[in-house]
Amino acid sequence: MFESVGNVKDCLAEQQYIASDEIATVVYLAQKLGKPLLLEGPAGVGKTELAKAVSGALNQPLVRLQCYEGLDESKALYEWEYAKQMLYTQLLRDKLSDLLAEAETLAEAADRLAAEEDVFFSERFLLARPLLKAISANEPTVLLIDEIDRADAEFEAFLLEVLSDFQVSIPEIGTIRATYHPTVFLTSNNTRELSEALKRRCLYIYIDYPTVDQELEIVQLKVPELSPKLAQQAVEAVHSLRNMDLKKNPSVSETLDWARALVTLNASSLDREVVENTLTVLLKYEADVARARRILRGDRGTDTGGSRSPRNW
Amino acid sequence: MARFVAGLRASGVRVSIAESEDAWRAVEHIGVTDRRLFYLTLRSTLVKEAEDFPIFDELFPLYFGTDVPPLLNPQAELNEEEQEMLRNALQQLADELSELLSWLLSGQGPTEEELQDLAEQAGMQNADAPYQAQWYARRMQRLLGWEQLEKVLEMLWEMLAQMGMDPETLARLQQQVAQNQEALGEQLEQFAGQQIQDNRAEQWRHRRETAHDLMQRSFSSLNEHELDVLRDQVRRLAARLRSRAALRQKRGKRGKLDTKATIRANLKYGGVPLELRLRRKRRKPKLVMFLDVSTSMRPVAEFFLRLLYQLQDQVQKSRSFAYIDHLEDVTADLKTQTMEGAVQTVLTKLPPGYYSTDFGNSLRQFTSEHLSTVDQRTTVIVLGDARNNYRDPALDAFAEISKRARRVIWMTPEYSAQWGTGDSDMLEYVPLCTEVFQVRNLNQLANAIDNMLAS
Repeated sequence: MFESVGNVKDCLAEQQYIASDEIATVVYLAQKLGKPLLLEGPAGVGKTELAKAVSGALNQPLVRLQCYEGLDESKALYEWEYAKQMLYTQLLRDKLSDLLAEAETLAEAADRLAAEEDVFFSERFLLARPLLKAISANEPTVLLIDEIDRADAEFEAFLLEVLSDFQVSIPEIGTIRATYHPTVFLTSNNTRELSEALKRRCLYIYIDYPTVDQELEIVQLKVPELSPKLAQQAVEAVHSLRNMDLKKNPSVSETLDWARALVTLNASSLDREVVENTLTVLLKYEADVARARRILRGDRGTDTGGSRSPRNW
Repeated sequence: MARFVAGLRASGVRVSIAESEDAWRAVEHIGVTDRRLFYLTLRSTLVKEAEDFPIFDELFPLYFGTDVPPLLNPQAELNEEEQEMLRNALQQLADELSELLSWLLSGQGPTEEELQDLAEQAGMQNADAPYQAQWYARRMQRLLGWEQLEKVLEMLWEMLAQMGMDPETLARLQQQVAQNQEALGEQLEQFAGQQIQDNRAEQWRHRRETAHDLMQRSFSSLNEHELDVLRDQVRRLAARLRSRAALRQKRGKRGKLDTKATIRANLKYGGVPLELRLRRKRRKPKLVMFLDVSTSMRPVAEFFLRLLYQLQDQVQKSRSFAYIDHLEDVTADLKTQTMEGAVQTVLTKLPPGYYSTDFGNSLRQFTSEHLSTVDQRTTVIVLGDARNNYRDPALDAFAEISKRARRVIWMTPEYSAQWGTGDSDMLEYVPLCTEVFQVRNLNQLANAIDNMLAS
């Protein structure tokens, strides 16, 4: 459990995650109020990483459910392992006939079989999917439901039910109640509007691209081998790219990849050649790459070939 | 804080009771000492959509005060004698400003009630526009006699100097009073802002009760104010239509057999297909819209556009054409601008004036220039009253469009009894349409759009 907002920040920093005031406050609140946390924002800004960091900070296992269209209850909650059940039935066929041999009538045989029902519908054959795993765990867990906006509206309704009570009723076994309520994180890339009921139930935070200073801090934390001056130039370059009207803006994870690429190439400065060669690490659409290159070339009318600050793009 | 929530709701942010409860509980945990934490707490519990953040940022300082410094008490630093002098001097001055002076000189600001009284005197009962806050604050100041304050203060200082007050003390007193003056000014402004918000919240509550009735009344009978009320309702209406469309998608049974899903679902039956799973492939409609924007139809067209704008995610592609006597392609305008701007542009491209509707001409223009936009997946929507002023209705052109398109939907504000009367060519168009809807009021319009999305 986190003690205070400051405590949240420190713990997350230990997990190598730089959290802003906003994020720390909301995480603290989510835990105190026991409400799920809905994280929205562009791709790659650290929503999933936040859940992982919190899981590490609290020392609780992370249970992850990745959503996609067509995700239904059987893939999210639980399933019976049909194949295993069939196999056991086949293998135990002899034993089964022994058991039923003494029965005189069909009704008696049915009764005997019914008595053994629990064998085939027991926890042995229950395949617990992420939601059930989180609910039935023996210790508190962190439940991450990733990209909820890719699931359909029916799944959201089903999720709402699970999140409100944290109990599952399996007809054959009974109701399984959660001993510890998991800390729930929901991430969304905002490709579609989520249902209001789900939004009402959660606390909301919009994580945007970080500022230059914040991103610099992140780069220095995760890629310490990069020289501070180069890191500064790189971060500023990425920010100027984000201001261009690109099809896909480079995200924080791409900035980190680029930083690592620069380290690998032993780049000493951010000159034109290095940038042109590594542009594809940052930009994932050919149109964007072409555009960036054009702007790069266009501005370099008086290129000296030396290390120019990318601010002059 | 409850007033803050009401203010948010009045400005269009949808805050439910559960959320405001969460906010209360959260504030209990976090406390109110750290302003930034308080702000973040409220924001994460009350606002659930990124588009509402600016509204929140605008209203927050109005309700929870920027750091207005409290009024200082200048008299605290005076000794007995000096206080005596001050009291004497004050007694001799005109007592219109006595209230104001007492506030400035004692460090006790106006009470809530006094502020309320002042606001009433300034006529703030009906104020509902945020930009008026400053103006009303000035008015309140004038009522207090702010303008004469300078002179009176000067007289006060003179009198005190004459009475023999120590010049240093006097200077300090002057400074503190000046500070208090500023602080009081800010306080008044803030109070004015808050009053305006409260008024808006009141109005909004009142509006909601009447909106439901307004939706039943025909467009032509509504005045501008009532139309505004309805405009606020559009978003809610669109949300309802969207959820209905989603429900329909879920329950739709059409489609071919989805073999993979069937086998998977039937594993528990040993592979025997006892439960069939169908492939539910619903295609979003492509729309081509003809909007009559002549004066009588303008409100209808506007609301139609607004609703459709909100429902863009339910529609795959849409092309819009506005017409009175000729056609104008307005698709680009609708895409590039906000709702307000787009509606304005559409209306300015075809300005109101005395020229008569000629749908026939518009149809011919369409078939010669844009017929290729209509294909077998398109739904054509015509919003108009089919009154062509006795001109050629261009039925052949319409028939051609109708043949190419998947469906043709006509939305008219007229009763069926009026079709065919006068210059109406409605009865000729009707056989060529798939469906005809009457859209006299917002309810019917919403219904028509619902039906359109249904197939």
